[in-house]
Amino acid sequence: MKSLDPRVNRLPLTGNTSPKVLLDQFGTFEVFVQAKAGKPFQHEGVVHAPNLEMSYLLAKETFTRRFTCVSIYVVDTRNVHVSVLTEDEDNAYNHVTEVASSGNKVSFEIFHLFKRGKQHQHAGTVEASNPNEALWLASKQLKTEKQVFNIWAIHTDDIRFTHQDDLDLWHTLPDKKFRDAAAYKGGDKLKSFLEELKK
Amino acid sequence: MYGGGNIFDEIKPDDVAGEDSIKLAEFEARIDRGEKIEPTDWMPKLYRKQLIRMIEQHAHSEIIGALPEGTWITRAPGFKRKMALMAKVQDEVGHGQLLYSAAETLGKSREQMIDDLINGKSKYSNVFNYPTFTWADCCFISWLVDAGAIVNQLANAKGSYGPYCRALERICAEESFHLKYGHHCVIYLASGTQKQRDMFQEAIYRWWPPMMHFFGPSDKISVHTEILMKWKVKMDTNDNMRNQFLDMYVPKIWELGFTIPDPKLKKNTATGRWEYTEPDWDEFKRVINGGGPCNKERLEVRRIAEERGRWVREALRAPKTEYITPLA
Repeated sequence: MKSLDPRVNRLPLTGNTSPKVLLDQFGTFEVFVQAKAGKPFQHEGVVHAPNLEMSYLLAKETFTRRFTCVSIYVVDTRNVHVSVLTEDEDNAYNHVTEVASSGNKVSFEIFHLFKRGKQHQHAGTVEASNPNEALWLASKQLKTEKQVFNIWAIHTDDIRFTHQDDLDLWHTLPDKKFRDAAAYKGGDKLKSFLEELKK
Repeated sequence: MYGGGNIFDEIKPDDVAGEDSIKLAEFEARIDRGEKIEPTDWMPKLYRKQLIRMIEQHAHSEIIGALPEGTWITRAPGFKRKMALMAKVQDEVGHGQLLYSAAETLGKSREQMIDDLINGKSKYSNVFNYPTFTWADCCFISWLVDAGAIVNQLANAKGSYGPYCRALERICAEESFHLKYGHHCVIYLASGTQKQRDMFQEAIYRWWPPMMHFFGPSDKISVHTEILMKWKVKMDTNDNMRNQFLDMYVPKIWELGFTIPDPKLKKNTATGRWEYTEPDWDEFKRVINGGGPCNKERLEVRRIAEERGRWVREALRAPKTEYITPLA
């Protein structure tokens, strides 16, 4: 290949023009970020990764590359139990029905969507034997006056949390000033240049 | 970067004829109220199709847009510029990731999108089919192509589809760094030696026509997009976006003492609109259909990267995980 870029010129031509082989896709993982101490965890988006541990690293790089945060966590999308999505005055909790307990209780993290178009926020934890019971208990324990459009329930053990010894992942962030707009103040140089120009 | 000048399919009158009229009315009422549409909501087929197309084009533009700038990382003047450019290119690829995820919520898998890019089926921003000959070309992209993209993205962030808006909010926050960085680079070239000034002037001569193309064909000749504007998929007309960009940046370019290669370019004080020589839309079409100086190279680089990285993905593949549509 003839390119202006010497690196491109060095690329080996594979000679292969057949369409690529299908389906070498990774799993889907949902990412939650806690921006400040005391603030709830908030859903930020997804990453694709071969496993939970890799998804954690990719989430760190995708969502907290610039702004520092207290911690993040990730969960396999298949492990998120989703309620109906409602609109107008209809609270998602109106559609949650009573479910009897069915054995051992484990903890579930509950997330609320307060406004359509915004992100889900962590609301609290309930102890339940299955996700539907978790929603029912959340309607008793975590429901407030605030309108909720959608509820997620995630078994706490399915979440990859940030551990104490992960925190050094973010230690280098304050040194990376070159990533911030504030590091590119050209105002003075521009001003003196414009004054030169006028002379 | 780099959403802008999206190419929509031609819309036929019967495209929405088959839709449930009650559901359609509810859908439109929700958009009129300023509410967002979420992935599990009912939506017309045309809305889904055109949104996938637009967000996918935007994502590809981020990925391909990383190439003309990425090529300058090793040759950027000095350590600081290298670090900054590397961070910027990483951001662009990160934006591609966010946008692919947003498009995925509509039901098209990421792999299918990447396939369509490599096989030439999907488009990306035309501006990246031009080469960056010098460092100044790279600075033109960092400052002005990014600026154009921001005009577009700030408008789109007010659109009707929740996941796309959320991705754009994150993207726009990072763009402030790109814009400041790009302007900083240009100020240094402008206030440097005569040779540096000449370099940037030449870059303007090269990049002005693609920059004018960036916002897409003139409203007089572009595909009718009234229904997409009504559904808040497309937020403003191509000409309005172009006008907004000219309004914000032409004075800044002139302020630095540079010439823009269009003798007709001036602001009409009566209408408040910019007047300019009509861009060459035949050239635009020729390039978007594969005839530009770099189309082949851009796709070839992506394809080779895909092929050479395949063994890594194969090695990492884990049967326990499964690709599924993201939630939001």
